[in-house]
Amino acid sequence: MTETGTYLYAVTEETPSSDVEGLHGVADTQVRTIPCEGLVAYVSTVPLDQFGAEPLRRSMEDLDWLGETAGAHHHVVEEVADRAPVAPVRLVTVYRGDEQVKDLLRERHDDFVDVLSSVAGRREWGVKAYVDLSAPGPSRTAPSLGGPGTAYLKRRQAGLRSREEAWRQAAAHAEHLHATLSTVAVASHRHRAQDPELSGRKEAMLLNGAYLVERSRDDEFLKTVDDLRDRGVEIELTGPWAPYSFTDLEVRGDG
Amino acid sequence: MSEPVRTARMRIQADSEAMERDLSRLVLTLVELVRQLVERQAIRRMEQTDLTDEQIEVLGLTLMRLEEAMTEVCERFGLSPSELNLDLGPLGTLLPQE
Repeated sequence: MTETGTYLYAVTEETPSSDVEGLHGVADTQVRTIPCEGLVAYVSTVPLDQFGAEPLRRSMEDLDWLGETAGAHHHVVEEVADRAPVAPVRLVTVYRGDEQVKDLLRERHDDFVDVLSSVAGRREWGVKAYVDLSAPGPSRTAPSLGGPGTAYLKRRQAGLRSREEAWRQAAAHAEHLHATLSTVAVASHRHRAQDPELSGRKEAMLLNGAYLVERSRDDEFLKTVDDLRDRGVEIELTGPWAPYSFTDLEVRGDG
Repeated sequence: MSEPVRTARMRIQADSEAMERDLSRLVLTLVELVRQLVERQAIRRMEQTDLTDEQIEVLGLTLMRLEEAMTEVCERFGLSPSELNLDLGPLGTLLPQE
């Protein structure tokens, strides 16, 4: 008999229909609910030989395992988000048992209520903007007077200049995109831009933004995004998501 | 969305052939970093016009030859210039992205 822990996915306010029959989470475990003081935690029982602190350190480096687990976690959060305003919890937040989850709901009750009321009726959209900085700028090297060494330095100088200029323009454009999108959103957050290895694209990522948008303003937000598509900047829209970027209560688990 | 997880692309393998390659890569990376720093400094001094035309030419030629030598050595080790770039996580990459 292996030891088990309680894996926490998300928290909502108590709703009449918190039925999770047939909903499966990470490692194909059955999702269940823990109600406490008007809140409901969505959890499942997981084996600690996979989800204990030590095994997790190893499995987090296994990208296949991570992808599968993140997918299952996300699936549960999305299912729950369909029913009620949800505060998703970070991936692999594991507690020793149900009692510890109840303690969390009791201790952080007011924080959860605040966060849940701030995301009610709102969803998160992700906007990423990419620009191809490797596109050669206009070659401004005048035929130089000196020898090949001087010509080489002048060429490098022009290269540096145009790259700096391209970055400056790109950064200004990102500011503009973010500011414009933020006017339609209730809240916004700029994540760190991902490098090409992670984004899977060779262009540089200018903006990695998350926007919390009132459902009734979705159309307006999408139109704003469309209006911003131009001038060599490629915009990628994702969502709607559960409000992952706006519900971080630093819930850490103790498993 | 959770924090991105980085793949360990600069991880040093324990078998000797891979080790040799990884170490060469590290050394070449450092050499390239210094070369680029010197190049930038040369450009800055050229802009400040505190170099004579002759000095500029000599510096330029030297840096150009160094670059050619780097390209050659990289080819010999089967490395592409982008492989010389260390990922420093939140600080970005060691060398500017081409």
